[in-house]
Amino acid sequence: MNPSPSPVPSSPDSNQPPVAGRGVGQLLVGAGALGVAAVLAYGATSISSDAGYAGVGPNFLPWVVSAALAICGSLLIFEALTGGYRQMDVPSGAPRGDWHALAWVSAGVLLNATLITTIGFILSCALCFTLAVRGLRASEGKPAGNLRQTVMDAVTGMLIAAPVYWLFTKLLAVNLPGLSSTGWI
Amino acid sequence: MMDILNQLLGGFATAGTPINLLWALAGCALGTAIGVLPGLGPAVTIAMLLPITGQVEPTASMIFFAGIYYGAMYGGSTTSILLNTPGETGTMVTALEGFKMAKHGRAGAALATSAIGSFVAGTIATILVTLFAPILAKFAVRLGPPEYFCLMLLAFTTVSAVLGKSTLRGMTALFFGLALGLVGIDQITAQVRYTGGVMEFMDGIEVVLVAVGLFAVTEALYNALYEGRSANDMNKLNKVHMTRTEWRRSWPAWLRGTAIGFPFGTIPAGGSEIPTFLSYAAERKLAKPAHQAEFGTVGAIEGVAGPEAANNAAVTATLVPLLTLGIPTSVTAAILLSALQNYGINAGPQLFQTSGDLVWALIASLYIGNVMLLVLNLPLVGLWVKLLKIPKPQLYAGILIFATVGVYGMRQSAFDLYLMYGLGLLGVVMRRYDFPTAPVIVGLILGPLAEAQMRNALSIGEGSWWVFVERPMSATLLAVVVLVLVTPRLLAWRRRA
Repeated sequence: MNPSPSPVPSSPDSNQPPVAGRGVGQLLVGAGALGVAAVLAYGATSISSDAGYAGVGPNFLPWVVSAALAICGSLLIFEALTGGYRQMDVPSGAPRGDWHALAWVSAGVLLNATLITTIGFILSCALCFTLAVRGLRASEGKPAGNLRQTVMDAVTGMLIAAPVYWLFTKLLAVNLPGLSSTGWI
Repeated sequence: MMDILNQLLGGFATAGTPINLLWALAGCALGTAIGVLPGLGPAVTIAMLLPITGQVEPTASMIFFAGIYYGAMYGGSTTSILLNTPGETGTMVTALEGFKMAKHGRAGAALATSAIGSFVAGTIATILVTLFAPILAKFAVRLGPPEYFCLMLLAFTTVSAVLGKSTLRGMTALFFGLALGLVGIDQITAQVRYTGGVMEFMDGIEVVLVAVGLFAVTEALYNALYEGRSANDMNKLNKVHMTRTEWRRSWPAWLRGTAIGFPFGTIPAGGSEIPTFLSYAAERKLAKPAHQAEFGTVGAIEGVAGPEAANNAAVTATLVPLLTLGIPTSVTAAILLSALQNYGINAGPQLFQTSGDLVWALIASLYIGNVMLLVLNLPLVGLWVKLLKIPKPQLYAGILIFATVGVYGMRQSAFDLYLMYGLGLLGVVMRRYDFPTAPVIVGLILGPLAEAQMRNALSIGEGSWWVFVERPMSATLLAVVVLVLVTPRLLAWRRRA
């Protein structure tokens, strides 16, 4: 047990009422850590152990990290099975996720990644902005998605992205993709 | 002594050129702004701006980044006091008393004591950095790979095991960061590790990418997913002013806070959570009985003054290990280290010799920045508070645009943007299950350095692990690591028995 720097110490044995589905989530997180450990171990088998003068080669740390993550993952699973993670704070925000809103924001980020080289930084970021605002607004329970609002958001996105683009490409010589080769859009 | 003074004057000459003053002002203003805005910290802001290192000369950009680092601390307290949503972990404690003071109509006094306290602590801490950093650097030249490795081990232990609530989750985060750090080409043998044949992984995973993903993108995703209905009510701002009694109650707290904060910043114990909390506890204990009743009820000014000073002193002090040893003790310091690496500058004891101009200009700019920030935050605080009126959807969506600039601008790869999204999702899971993120960043950036030091140390020891125990300095450091790991457990065990 650690001296908790947080001003509101959580109950040491964490007997909070469990949120529905949290146990499964905790198990999955532990399994995820085990998964990363397995991937690291698999990769480590193909790394040379040539140690030179050092006694340990480039495959030493990979094995250490893999083993440590395996231990951490097992302990996380153990904690999840025996009453949940210890010293947990109740996470902030709603107990259930708004997956619909998350999908909109995710679509914004992923489309941005897909389109940035084709339609240029300004348009791509404006699109990302529009989609993300729509999702975030929906998560607040406000009306989202009518045409006027969408157009307004797209314009706002452009008004943010365009000066950023000019500032970074012209003044700071950072390379960002444009739609045309004029350097303005 | 004269030597230091001369070099500092030289630093002022560099930092005082109009262009560098402008960079400092831009950094301070931007830092205050992002400190005020919830959801953006100095680490991720500097990370997003790292691409400018391609164009801007090192001294100017370090002055700019340091301004952001500092400014965010000043701005963060404004948000804590008015909104009760600390943007930075270091201002968490400020929110305790500051928010209560503001609720009872004393927002102005709370803002004043935090700004002036930050100035006092920042300036004293900068003087201490000026005096001690060169001495420590001279001493640090004598440290060899075994000692460095043990120091890094200490940084790993404290950042993951001491900070945060659960050692297990801290360690998991640390080892995940170390795993990310393994990707790419091994520094010593040029062996390729964990690239899975993907070209983009050859250069390794950039700390910028991880910081922007884990902080900025996570913030946007987490807010969409969970925080949509969380309402924030803002306290009213009134005249920023302290009465004579409030001055009298504040200044001893500032000095005590500085004394507590500075040492914590210099040791690799990471972050300003512990010193701010210690300072809060000390002020609560030392307050006059008449004032003690104010703690936790209407808000006690000592409870804002002390932790704010401790926070700024600790933040300034993180520059000591960063500049003299090349060891970052906070996430922002880790990003600053990678900014230096971008310029091919190796932070470490040689830095004072090889890049003396830069270091002294940076230190001088801290003095200048503190004055700028006092002006920016006292008379102009009303201006910054207006930033809090930006609606959340537009704020977080806008952050995504800046995240794109930072990540794509780094090496023009759309692949990095997908990776950034993946890390954003990972960050949501980590936040939901209460995993700390700082160990990931520290593990990622210090991991490769620590591995190189370890293998060099073993070469010195001709393959024998005893090299870490045979050298007195390194053995001492190892003992400290063990103490840090064991003591809290022993204490807990004794309490239970």
